[in-house]
Amino acid sequence: MAINHVILVPVTNSAASLEAVSVACALGKQRKSKVFAVHVIEVLRSLPLNAEMDADARRGEQLLRKAEEIASATGYHVEGELLQAREAGQAIVDEARDRKADTVVLGIGSKPLIGDFQQGRTADFVLRHATSEVIVVRQGTVPRLEHEHE
Amino acid sequence: MYVIIAGGGKVGFYLAQELINGNHEVLVIEREAGRCKQIADEIGEHVMNGDGCEASTLDRAGVVRADLVAAVTGDDEDNLVVCDIARQRGVPRTIARINNPKNELLFKKRGVETTISATQAILAQIEQELPTHEMIPLLQMHSGLELVEIRLPNTSPVAGRSVREVLLPPESLISLVVDPGGVPRIPSGETRLNAGDALVVVTRKESLEVLRESLIGATHGLDT
Repeated sequence: MAINHVILVPVTNSAASLEAVSVACALGKQRKSKVFAVHVIEVLRSLPLNAEMDADARRGEQLLRKAEEIASATGYHVEGELLQAREAGQAIVDEARDRKADTVVLGIGSKPLIGDFQQGRTADFVLRHATSEVIVVRQGTVPRLEHEHE
Repeated sequence: MYVIIAGGGKVGFYLAQELINGNHEVLVIEREAGRCKQIADEIGEHVMNGDGCEASTLDRAGVVRADLVAAVTGDDEDNLVVCDIARQRGVPRTIARINNPKNELLFKKRGVETTISATQAILAQIEQELPTHEMIPLLQMHSGLELVEIRLPNTSPVAGRSVREVLLPPESLISLVVDPGGVPRIPSGETRLNAGDALVVVTRKESLEVLRESLIGATHGLDT
């Protein structure tokens, strides 16, 4: 059966984004989706966009492998891709459009409770500009171990 | 071509849009965070929040690899500083928007290759409509050259003389003569100039007054 539903999940080294991979896989199982994991390397403007970013690329590959492991653990499969861009938010929105993604699952960290809640510039941009459905997975504000002790 | 635009007002924004459409790499530097967000809504990642007058901001923008920096804020002093820093960082070409035409000379002295003055441009358009104005600035060119149109009055000291007989300031050239009937011709040394002819002349900016005296006469007041 052809898969029509597409989910895009951006991956960083944050716990929230790895949690987002699990959520994307669970959702993918439910909706019979193809899940793409992307890691965006943000290139400084002092460098050309196609600059060789070997160290960042290696880190990105590791993160994508980790996402694949998480997916495998849930009995699902994700396809990973590395992207180079000036701004991650724009790259995610463009990638979602190019892949005709129906859903973007985005993990965001929890900021200290001082002032207004800030979801970060990448999430802000994606929420404002993505044409697809966006599901935000916010990291818990209480460390998980404390939950487990309760 | 990588173009950095300092100032995200209407001029900077529309300039960026046009350049992006022309497939250039563009970055707008805008001081106001709120305005940055508005610009980002339209042109995405091609905007950066920061003060273009600060070297650190321009460095963050990758000024060292920029082919051109255009300073188009509404503040002449800011535009001058942006161009100064850009030139110090080795940017091959800087363009500044000038709001007060009186600052133009200062920009030239500081090595800003190209200046754009909306005030001057509008003034030139108005002067083209006013028959009393005999010297109309048409175009500012590189290296301090300017293209002007001069209509010879009846009292012109060169009326009835040939081009060869006209004493022009150094590095000046009569490139076109349009007679009162609107017929253009490229002048030779023998071409006779008559009252009512419009001459298109290339000259140095600092020679404009001497040129005026040569072709129009000293008795006419300033009208540029």
